[in-house]
Amino acid sequence: MKPQEETIFDAARNLASPAARQAFLAQACADDPDLRARIEGLLAAEVAAERFFSEVAPLVLTASAAREGTSTTGAPVAIEERVVTEVPGTRIGRYKLLQRIGEGGGGVVYMAEQEEPVRRRVALKIIKLGMDTKSVIARFEAERQALAMMDHPNIAKVLDAGATDTGRPYFVMELVRGVKITEYCDKNHLDTHQRLDLFIQICLAIQHAHQKGIIHRDIKPSNILVTLHDGVPVPKVIDFGIAKATEVRLTDKTLFTAYEQIIGTPAYMSPEQAEMSGLDIDTRSDIYSLGVLLYELLTGRTPFDPKKLLQHGLDEMRRTLREQEPQRPSTMVTTLQGMELATTAEHRHAEPPKLVSLLRGDLDWIVMKALEKDRRRRYETANGLAMDINRYLNNEPVIARPPSRAYRFQKLVRRNKVVFAAGAAVTAALVIGLGTSTRLFFMERAARQRAVAAEQQQVRLREEAEHAEAREAELRRLAESREKITQATVLLSQDRFDEADALIGGVSLTQPTVEGAAVIRSLGEWHAIQNRWKPAADRFNLLLQIDQLDGWDVSTLDYLECGPVLIEDGDLAGYERFRQTAIAHIADTAYPFTDRIIKISLLLPANEQVMKSLEPLAQVAEKSFATNITANGDVFLAAWRSVSLALMEYRRGDYTKASAWCRRCLNYPEYNAPRAATARVILAMSCQHLGQTDEAHSELAQARSMIEDRFRNGLDRGTGVQGFWFDWVFARILLREANALIDGSPSVLQRQ
Amino acid sequence: MPVSDVAEVLPMPSEIMNEITQVLQAIQRGDGQASGELLPLVYDELRRLAALRMSQESASQTLQATALVHEAWLRMVGDGDRTWQNRAHFFGAAAEAMRRILVENARRKSRLKRGGGQARLDIDELDLAATTPDDKVLLMDEALEQLQAQDAEKARIVVLKFFGGLTNQEVAENLGVTERTVERQWAYAKAWLFQQIRTQL
Repeated sequence: MKPQEETIFDAARNLASPAARQAFLAQACADDPDLRARIEGLLAAEVAAERFFSEVAPLVLTASAAREGTSTTGAPVAIEERVVTEVPGTRIGRYKLLQRIGEGGGGVVYMAEQEEPVRRRVALKIIKLGMDTKSVIARFEAERQALAMMDHPNIAKVLDAGATDTGRPYFVMELVRGVKITEYCDKNHLDTHQRLDLFIQICLAIQHAHQKGIIHRDIKPSNILVTLHDGVPVPKVIDFGIAKATEVRLTDKTLFTAYEQIIGTPAYMSPEQAEMSGLDIDTRSDIYSLGVLLYELLTGRTPFDPKKLLQHGLDEMRRTLREQEPQRPSTMVTTLQGMELATTAEHRHAEPPKLVSLLRGDLDWIVMKALEKDRRRRYETANGLAMDINRYLNNEPVIARPPSRAYRFQKLVRRNKVVFAAGAAVTAALVIGLGTSTRLFFMERAARQRAVAAEQQQVRLREEAEHAEAREAELRRLAESREKITQATVLLSQDRFDEADALIGGVSLTQPTVEGAAVIRSLGEWHAIQNRWKPAADRFNLLLQIDQLDGWDVSTLDYLECGPVLIEDGDLAGYERFRQTAIAHIADTAYPFTDRIIKISLLLPANEQVMKSLEPLAQVAEKSFATNITANGDVFLAAWRSVSLALMEYRRGDYTKASAWCRRCLNYPEYNAPRAATARVILAMSCQHLGQTDEAHSELAQARSMIEDRFRNGLDRGTGVQGFWFDWVFARILLREANALIDGSPSVLQRQ
Repeated sequence: MPVSDVAEVLPMPSEIMNEITQVLQAIQRGDGQASGELLPLVYDELRRLAALRMSQESASQTLQATALVHEAWLRMVGDGDRTWQNRAHFFGAAAEAMRRILVENARRKSRLKRGGGQARLDIDELDLAATTPDDKVLLMDEALEQLQAQDAEKARIVVLKFFGGLTNQEVAENLGVTERTVERQWAYAKAWLFQQIRTQL
């Protein structure tokens, strides 16, 4: 199959409305009906294909006797609570409740069966208390798209949300058959090493969510279930998005009457969450909760006793979380008494003294760094936390510990015990050798040779350590960039543009990132709409670089945004480079929107070489008019293509053809204001060249009043149908050219 | 799932572990032949593991292909090796091995069910809604052969995602392309394969 087919398919499936798809396909496959039929076939098959693959996806090898419908959980089905109206068999939306599998956090969880569009079992959680169902669901909907983007083996997908007949909100999640992580670890006597391995997987799952802009907000053991996949424990993080949707404002009253029932325990809450100062929760809050979880996995206790936290009121709880330094994990273990200590150690497959010495040092530091009161001093990302634990496991220096030479050396020794033991032996031999003079000459020589060898080995190790340090710095830099983008995404979702912009300032992106592109684009637009062209140009230049890193996204409008911004910034050399790069980029590809590149490259007069390189693109665009445009529902895009071709003819000097394209554009029914204004400007200039000065003046006057009107009240982002901000800026730049040509006078909107 | 029955782990002969480590190291050094040696090693191990798990009364009677592959990785290479290149080679081979095992298994069962000695599934009798998972595996495999002939890279992505259970990111690392490319190609391949499967019915 041709690469072009896949490109067009991808662009088409990303267009939401069927009409837009049809219009796009009519143009992209203008002279190839077979191609169009094939792509339409693929698009039509997409939904069914998705279902087919999701049904077969958890591929199974089935034993000879297939069992159907028997439960594997063995959980008691009895319903003792009268207040719960839902019983197995109840239907809620598309779901049929099968059995109750748990209760906790904010609600009751059922295993349920979904029948449409796919038949599968899911977990359905009904929120317990009388919450404002509408706003819960609204908050969930706001995050739904981001939630859908999560795709990670250690995250249970959140599938759906709605309201029951009794008006309570419910959430539907991927069904996870498992037990709380703490319970799993204790029952199976997992040692510290195995616990850390599970914990690292959790960190990476949380990192994935953070990169999609999702903060969990309620990380605690009951939200991390361990399932066994044929003997291999796999942790799964559940309840993503639910804490945010069901957020309860914390007051003294809720704290004492219902807090524990609503939220559970405050023991996992970060100081800034407890402050309830409003919006100010970011991914580092999850890092804190991960720290508490790690603390509990290692010691069996949380840093603060949850009962004591609640004992003395809300302010006291906040003060504790804000000010009181928790005991280090190793210290905590030593304070455990008799039986508890023995049990804790036994659960970890260790003797009590050994457990203490295991925790003391690196693990203490790692946990305490995650639990820092000041979030700026915590690990910046979940990934960073995981990396540090990995370093501990590999006997490499951890970041949590301030680096000292002695410490790094100690690590080197531990990693390379044999070599260092040899070195020590050599040193001893040398001392003895010198002391006993020539009698041991031969021995000494042999020892010296070994000493040289050992020293070379040490040099190599030292170099390795230095190299590792450099690599670590690079990884940290990448992680920081990612983290900044995550935070910026969150800020942008709250319309806090200036904070996001300040955050993104120093970020350099050397890896493709979809979120990064989205953030930079929003910031570029934000600057542009407020007439700050220099920063806008910087953002869009960066954006084009990211686009290059991430391959070629055909549906991008980034080129259309960048061109006008560079001109408004007065960076004409930059614009020249930009248009040549844009043309070179799409030459010899199956880019379906050639007219956009024509248009954006001709916003200013172009030299011969540029004109020549645009010829083949113009031919492609022109060919699309051979088919019946009205019948294909292609009017909207055809009108835009007419503008591009008009500009092409105008720059070529064929003013008759140029005005014909302009009139064609203006005659199309689906009106778009900036497009019409642009067509009138080009028409005015063409008429002027053809000596039709009356018409030139009247067209120019109409265009001018449209454009000036639009800018008078300030721009907004706009839409595809009404015209985007950059369509208007485009029109204004051409208007200036027309003013100079026809009136010889600069417009009032001349760039300051 | 009862927590207590963490399935016991077969003792792993250290020669096999050594062998696989050596093969992985050889691949890292750029020894092209070594890639060929990886597949049979992984294949044998996966089969052994599958047979063992299926014979265990206590274990649930379905086995997730993905879980098996991950278990095999832990057993054959272990926690010690965290370099992603090795993971990439291993999971690449394991996905292909898993595909062969599943197809073989499905063929065997379809022969049993139909009594005869047909080597291939008689697709004329099938209706998509009524197909068993085994039938689907066979249908997939046939369609995949056709995709392979037309576009080897896409076929590779399907094998890794579908039989190896890799995430987009892992596939991207494995093939040295961007995640977005994987997503795009996987979407296309799914629609394409499904069309192919439907025309077979």
